[in-house]
This record gives sequence, structure tokens and C-alpha cells, in this order.
Amino acid sequence: MLGEFEYLLITVAAGLGENAYGAAIREEIEATTERRCSLGALYTTIDRLEKKGLLKTWMGEATPQRGGRAKRMVRVTSQGTRAAKEFYEVIARVSRGASWAEAR
Amino acid sequence: MNAIAWKLIGLISEVLERDERDAVLGDLMEGDESGWRGLRDVFGLVFRRQGALWRSPRPWLAGFVVALPCSYLLMHVSISVTCTYERLVNHRTYACWHTGHEGFALLLCHVLLLVAWSWAGGYIVGSVSRRTLWMSASLSVVPTMFCWCWWGRMIPSRLCLFLFLVPAFFGVVRGLRDSRLSFPTTLALAATITVLMISAWSNQALWVLNWALVLPAWYLAAAAWRSRREAGLRSVSPAGAGPI
Repeated sequence: MLGEFEYLLITVAAGLGENAYGAAIREEIEATTERRCSLGALYTTIDRLEKKGLLKTWMGEATPQRGGRAKRMVRVTSQGTRAAKEFYEVIARVSRGASWAEAR
Repeated sequence: MNAIAWKLIGLISEVLERDERDAVLGDLMEGDESGWRGLRDVFGLVFRRQGALWRSPRPWLAGFVVALPCSYLLMHVSISVTCTYERLVNHRTYACWHTGHEGFALLLCHVLLLVAWSWAGGYIVGSVSRRTLWMSASLSVVPTMFCWCWWGRMIPSRLCLFLFLVPAFFGVVRGLRDSRLSFPTTLALAATITVLMISAWSNQALWVLNWALVLPAWYLAAAAWRSRREAGLRSVSPAGAGPI
């Protein structure tokens, strides 16, 4: 089963679609969770997920606003989508009956 | 202050692989990060990457089994070669280093051994653990710096301590290129070193601990033999044939 941060990363990357790459994923995670996301955690988790076959990454185009440096693009694989769905269902099941879940 | 942080970011990120360095520095630039936050981020990433590398036995092998002990022994050989040369050519002797009976033939034998031992050791360090090379390089200089401080005045020249580093450097460069050495080449290297060592040993001109220096060359030969065997097995088995 996925870890919490792995789930966050896959969900954000899936939401960003074609525009999923390091900086965009990080910005989205920070905006959603209101917590700091370090580059170390981000890139080591991307590597781990790629090794598990849940993500695919490749080097994208370089832009002037990045000082001519390439982006590391990210795409969620079908296996990654399944793993995220499974994680979500487990969380939803386990949360049934919890006071904070019902309050919503 | 910010400019210093960016310079440090550039320096520390050199440890990362090229693609990752590009992606990380581009992300920092795009995110308009402050230099110090960026520095903390890059340092954190480098720390995690290096931590992951040191979980493997390879950097430990390269640093503490090859680089450190070999550099200690090779430093002694470097001093010995220099003292013998000084005695034979300039007729100077050094009380701390007895080089009583070696002639030009044994000096040549020692020089060849020094080059071959250092090159083979450097090749292993370069090829076994390229991303932790900074640590292996630092460890290989430790005995030299110790000797520089304590025995500096008793040896012909402090520069002689670094003689072994020249062939070792070329070995490291070759190892980093990931160019596989062929089995006949490595076997010839290991056999030549062994013959030279037997010759020096029979003339009582070899320290017993120096026998350990033959191991990197034979390791290279064994590794080349294994890869040749594996390549042979792959070419024999038909493509796509797997367990039923």
C-alpha cells in the first residue's frame, strides 16, 4: 500500500496531467496541504514510485524562466492510478463512522 | 548573502547526476526561491542521495578496502622508489629509509609495479563507486597528509609522497568512463604484476604487506572473466526463451 506522501504526489501529478513536473507538483502540494515540501522528499519519492512502476518520468523541455534548464516531467501509470484508488478506498472505508469524517 | 547561497547551491549540486541537477536547479529558479531555502533543499536532496548510496557495500569497499589501505602501502613504495633513485643517481642516502642493495633493475621493477598497482587500484575505485568518489579520493590522501606532517623532513622530497597518485588518477579516469577491460588485458596485467612481485620478492626487495597490492589486479581479471562468461551464456540462450 502507498504511503501518505506517495498518495499525495500521485494524486497531484494526476491532477496536473500534461503539466506535471517537479516545481509544479511541489507548488500544488504546498498549496493544498499548507505544509512545506522539500525537494529532497519530492525527488526521492518520485524515484521510488518510478521504481515501483507507479510513475514514469522523462526530461522535458528547457524554458528561459528556468534558466534554460530542463524539467523532469511526470506521468502516472495505470498501475499508479490503481494503487492510488486502492489507498483512497482504504482511507474512505477506515474513516466511516469517524466523527471528523461525518462532520463533513 | 543570497549570491553566496546560490554559489553554494551550484557547488553542492555537482554531486547530483546531470539530469537531476538540471531539474532541481530549474525548479529552484522557476519557484523564485530564496538562496538559503534553496540551499537547504539541495543539501537535503544530496544528503538523501548520498545516504542511499552508502547503504550499498560498494562505496565502503572502494573507500575503506581499496583506497585507504592501498594508498598507505603505495605511499611507502613511492618513498622507497625515490630513495633508491636518490642513492643510485645522486649518491644520497636517507637514514630513515634503508635501500641497501637495489640496483637499476630492481628500481625499474619497483617503478613498474608502482604504476601498475596504482592504476589498477584507481580503476577499481573509479568503476566501483563513481558517485562517492569524493570520499575515496579524500581517504586516499589521508596517509599522505599524515606522512607529510610527521615525516616530511626525513624523506627526499614531500612531492615523492604523491608519486602513486599520478597513475592512480589515470586509473580512476578510465574506471569512470565505464569502459570494460577485456579478460586477456586484465589477465596480462595481473600476471605481469605477479611476475614482477615474485622477482622483487626473490631479491628481498618487497615488503610482505605489499602482496596485498596484487589483489586489485586479480580482482579486475576475475571481474572481466565473469562478464565474458555471462556474455557468452546470454549469446548461447535463444532470445525470448524463458521458463515454461
